[in-house]
Amino acid sequence: MSENIVPDAELDCVGLYCPMPISLTKEEIEKIGVGQILRVDADDPAAEEDITRWAKRTGNEVLKIEKEGGILTFFIKRLK
Amino acid sequence: MTKILYVQTSGPDTPERTYAPMILGATARAMDIEASVFFMIKGALLLKNGEAEKIQLGDFPPLKEMMDQALAAGVTFYLCEQSVALFGLPKGDFIPEATVAGGATLNDLALEADTVLSF
Repeated sequence: MSENIVPDAELDCVGLYCPMPISLTKEEIEKIGVGQILRVDADDPAAEEDITRWAKRTGNEVLKIEKEGGILTFFIKRLK
Repeated sequence: MTKILYVQTSGPDTPERTYAPMILGATARAMDIEASVFFMIKGALLLKNGEAEKIQLGDFPPLKEMMDQALAAGVTFYLCEQSVALFGLPKGDFIPEATVAGGATLNDLALEADTVLSF
């Protein structure tokens, strides 16, 4: 599919719970360049609402959220 | 739309503190106010399946009935599932109507709301 997103960096938060997925996502997104994409995998069900709101609040963009077998995969574009 | 956030921190061991957000939330909806309840700390235990059915005080209906009325009126429920780990209890087995959320969501909801009330 043309919708496949190729991330510039990846972060594995599987097994981690609030607030770790948010704290680590912030750390990692600051390591990539503006316009680049971070992939985050998490199995904390709170992460969907939390990361979506974190991105909106910090001015980043969640391009896509995939759900498969209890794992949430976020593709987040650093916007600033 | 005007928004109120209710933070429910009290739980089954202080049942007299559990009704107000349900009543206020349903009332807020009737007043065209957007209402959310964030269940955390002991409050999270109220959303375990079967728990709200056990709470009934004075002349009030069971808490579960008040919860269902609030949900039917359009009150949004958020659940800090992680809270149950404070009590060494397993996660899961929560009512499906609540959105599982964490710290970023609570901070965001609080900033979005015109008023935050805690119980």
